[in-house]
Amino acid sequence: MLRRYLAKRLVVAIPSLLIASLIVFTLPRLIPGDVVAMMLEEKAYAKDLEELRAKLGLNRPIYVQYFEWLGRAVQGDLGESLWTRRPVLEEIGQRLPITLELALLSLVVAIVIAVPVGVIAAARQDTAQDYIFRSTAILGLSVPGFWLATLVIVLPAIWWGWRPLTGYVEISKDVVGHILQMLLPAAILGVAFAAAMMRLTRGMLLEVLRQDYVRTAWSKGLRERVIILKHGLRNAIIPVITYIGTQLPQVIGGTVIIETIFGLPGMSRFLFDAINQRDYPVIQGVNLVVVSFIVLVNLVVDALYAVLDPRIRY
Amino acid sequence: MSLTRRELLIAGGLTAAGTVIAPSVARAQQPKRGGTMSLRLWDPPHFDLHAAGGLSYKLHILMTFTHSRLVRHKVGPSVVPGTFSIEPDLAESWTQPNETTYVFKLRRGVRWHAKAPANGRELTSDDVVYTYNRFINTKGHANAHMLKSVDKVEAVDKYTVRFTLKEPYAWFLETLASPMVVAIVNKEASEKYGDLKKWESFIGTGPWMLDSFRPNQGLTLVRNPNYFVQGLPYIDKVEIIVDEDNASRTASFLAGKFDLGWENPGTINRTDWVQIKDNALRRRPGLKTAEFPANVMSHISMRTDQKPFNDVRVRRAISHAIDRQGIIDAVAEGVGVTNPAVPAALKDWSIPISQLGEGAKYYKHDPAEAKKLLAAAGYANGFPGTVCFTTYGSTVLIDSMQLVLKNLKDVGIDAKLEQKEYGAYITSCFYGKFDAMTYGPQTPFVEPDSFLFGQYYPGEPRNQSHINDPVVADMLVRQRRTFDLAKRKEIIFEIQRYLAQQQYYVTTNSGVYVAVWDGALQNYGPNVGYDYGGRLMAAWLNR
Amino acid sequence: MAGDAVARVETAVGSTRSAPRPERSRGAAFGRFLWLFARRKPIGAFSGAVVIAMLLMSVFAEQIAPYDYDEAVRGARMKPPSAAHWLGTDNLSRDIWSRIVYGARVSITVGFATIFLGTAAATALGVTSGYFGGKYDLVVQRIVDAWMSFPYLVIILSVMAVLGPGLLNVILALSIIVAATGSRVIRGATIAIAQNQYVEAARAMGCGHARIVFRHIIPNVTATIIILATIGLGGIILAESALSFLGFGVPPPYPSWGSMLSGSGRTYMYRAPWMAVWPGVAISLAVFAFNMLGDALRDVLDPRLRGA
Repeated sequence: MLRRYLAKRLVVAIPSLLIASLIVFTLPRLIPGDVVAMMLEEKAYAKDLEELRAKLGLNRPIYVQYFEWLGRAVQGDLGESLWTRRPVLEEIGQRLPITLELALLSLVVAIVIAVPVGVIAAARQDTAQDYIFRSTAILGLSVPGFWLATLVIVLPAIWWGWRPLTGYVEISKDVVGHILQMLLPAAILGVAFAAAMMRLTRGMLLEVLRQDYVRTAWSKGLRERVIILKHGLRNAIIPVITYIGTQLPQVIGGTVIIETIFGLPGMSRFLFDAINQRDYPVIQGVNLVVVSFIVLVNLVVDALYAVLDPRIRY
Repeated sequence: MSLTRRELLIAGGLTAAGTVIAPSVARAQQPKRGGTMSLRLWDPPHFDLHAAGGLSYKLHILMTFTHSRLVRHKVGPSVVPGTFSIEPDLAESWTQPNETTYVFKLRRGVRWHAKAPANGRELTSDDVVYTYNRFINTKGHANAHMLKSVDKVEAVDKYTVRFTLKEPYAWFLETLASPMVVAIVNKEASEKYGDLKKWESFIGTGPWMLDSFRPNQGLTLVRNPNYFVQGLPYIDKVEIIVDEDNASRTASFLAGKFDLGWENPGTINRTDWVQIKDNALRRRPGLKTAEFPANVMSHISMRTDQKPFNDVRVRRAISHAIDRQGIIDAVAEGVGVTNPAVPAALKDWSIPISQLGEGAKYYKHDPAEAKKLLAAAGYANGFPGTVCFTTYGSTVLIDSMQLVLKNLKDVGIDAKLEQKEYGAYITSCFYGKFDAMTYGPQTPFVEPDSFLFGQYYPGEPRNQSHINDPVVADMLVRQRRTFDLAKRKEIIFEIQRYLAQQQYYVTTNSGVYVAVWDGALQNYGPNVGYDYGGRLMAAWLNR
Repeated sequence: MAGDAVARVETAVGSTRSAPRPERSRGAAFGRFLWLFARRKPIGAFSGAVVIAMLLMSVFAEQIAPYDYDEAVRGARMKPPSAAHWLGTDNLSRDIWSRIVYGARVSITVGFATIFLGTAAATALGVTSGYFGGKYDLVVQRIVDAWMSFPYLVIILSVMAVLGPGLLNVILALSIIVAATGSRVIRGATIAIAQNQYVEAARAMGCGHARIVFRHIIPNVTATIIILATIGLGGIILAESALSFLGFGVPPPYPSWGSMLSGSGRTYMYRAPWMAVWPGVAISLAVFAFNMLGDALRDVLDPRLRGA
């Protein structure tokens, strides 16, 4: 039953992927500014423009370019950057781990903050504690991330002449330094997610706590902590996991500001620079990887959901 | 040669009272070998000077560390910033038998970097010929036209190269000395890798070698033990850091990183400097500074080929409308210089405003006079017009633009902002494709010919204002054919006087750079231009 | 509608009145709703007040702001807060308080226009998709899924790159996200409602589709929409400031809090921190208020949406 459910979900995902690949291909080409003209910067002679266009394969009809790209992509060849001529897949391979690590660390930070706070807020609903926790959490997501990051970097430098580690340090070279370096940006990203996650935890827990089986547990005289954690949280956590699953891809795509400010050579920045430079193969390649990743994560989350809650397998 | 993002360097400035170099220790010291220097530079798009996209200051600056040219500019603390004189580099001497022929005698014993596939072989005239041919013939090389005056290049013998030009070109040596143009590149590397885009193929004959390249993070340069000038360079390692966020850079500087100011060319933006100066001097005692005018200037370009800008009175009115000093007060702490057609930063070639004659009055802020001129031209109620613009990521530029718009509105010109994203701007407005006006910075050259010829000669891509004026075209060609320095200078002054009256571009004032360098760095003389490597070649670290 | 809400709040409060309620005028019922709401959800009420203040600022900016947003006040460059300039002045000698007030207009405009456009599109898509189902539903959902498999920022950046900077373009780009995410939720709600028996009864009676949709479905989906919209507004204000940082925000000279914070605010922050602090406070306060208000509304109107 589970297998059939998953197979159905997979089949449904494929048309979406195809449409997404179309979007991935056409959207960047709609951006004004001919990439060849940008490369030549001074439009020398019309002949040069055409020659460069031909060399880069950009003069063929759009659908030909699309199918060729798609065909190669499913075989794992994402082409080369128009500017640097380095293979896109290789570049992504170097940067994706950094962004992924940042995303995961930030979600860990978010969970560590959100779940306990959400539980307490639900247990003490509508008391001062609830309000304070909720307000603080929302405040965390109300401050623009780039502003927090700026303050965190600039203030220590002014006050103590100290600044967080610059220059990305690989984990293989210096484990402690690496973790320290990633912690700050991850925390800033995590704070924003913590708020939403906390709300969700609190809301779900409140829902669950009103259920009959919980009331039964109360009447049986079980301790509050046991009821909330054992009975309540376990059931409330499912949508939270789903939420994490849906947010992970968003973090991956949305880290460009943090990566820029903290100097991390991640994939978001790579994509942003590529958009500015109209580096179509890179834009397409990164987008395709991200989109596929998101679809994959959605499938996994669906599977997890189905495992945890037998009602939805049918 | 053209402008790319953040090539913009608008900084505030001092009064144009010359430079002020404040050394901390005046006594002469023996240069010390060794040490690591930390710098902030940029990710180059790739490493091939001649391929499409290689036209970037980001790459040109790097090449001044690792590659050599036939001739170069004099460097060192004795050089007054804004002045340039030619010195031998790879060529130890040269002669000019006639107006169109140059014969260069190369040094002997110059070796390529000891990296495969060049493996430290000796440089010969064949390498020069190879570089030149590659320069001219690589498809997509946008700078190819810079040597279009060259007819042929021949290797006369192993150490002699002869250039034959099609027509006399007085700026030829300047072109060869420019970091943007003819760095000598390695044939074996180009053949082995197919092109020179990969960093592994970045092999030259310069004082440092590229040891590693980490995209988005930085580069490491190490000393070239076989550099053809004995004993140089003194500095063993140069750690180049890439940092795209100003708050982050400021923090780094305060924390002791970056031995030179982090903006091009080794400066700190005045708006930043004013804010961190006390803190910086406290944390890094011995920090040295020097101030000199910036050679980046912004101007308003106009469609002088159509109404209403084809009427010189309208252009003069616009010039009167702009409150140049007001802009400098607001964005550059009140310190700036007024630019005639050749920026004031080029001390040898820019005409002092007092000598401009008739045209000097148009630089005066006079909205009443502007309105009078507009009325005389038939636009008593002003006229509407769009101003195309991109931000280059600079808040100083954004602020200047807002003031320009206000100035225009104050005299009745209904100026509407048409802001574009950088890529869209650079492929349209920057090269003349705009409706009415465009405002923005220009590429910072170090000699007047590129400023003048490129912007005023009919048909040139950077002739943004669509100028077609036979008078100025004639003068431009004449100065290119005048070898006598004094006479050439006179023509260039004449051109600037004429252009001040024509106001084909309405220039705004430039700021004054604050060059900053660490107290430990000795024998360093700052200057405008991309020649970082040259300026650091004979410098040493006292720590 | 208000009557329903009052009833729900009273249930939540635990009112134990047993006598049947006498008929009240709509206005009085609404007033009572507000009073109970303020008592029950003080933070929500406070946030509501903040939101109303913002709305007033944006509508009456010309009356409230002492100076024009572009007005350079002579001799007042980068002055700290004082009696003459409550929040100080910036590097172009402009009064910051005035710019904050006018900036509210930009934030409100971008926020509401985006919500309006996005929600209209989301409702159209979601309701038709949920109600009619079938092949149409499948196709629409696949397309929405395709768009939603991109990270939001990627979509926004790409669309902004295509359209170029500008107020309208920011609204368009952000609307796409609102439309896509909203359509899913609305579709879900539509499906749930359409299965209700009174809808089936209406169909059996021969009511046309349009009538059913407008009379039965949309009113019940409204609560969902309101809550999503309120919380979404906070996100949109943050998104605009992020776009400003990346260079794609609302172009000058019209002040937007995002560009004030990410532009000259950051440049001069050592020397004139008030240039950045106040826009930052404004943004944070606005986002906070919208979020808390949305939360409170959700608690009161539709607790089922706690998980949304």
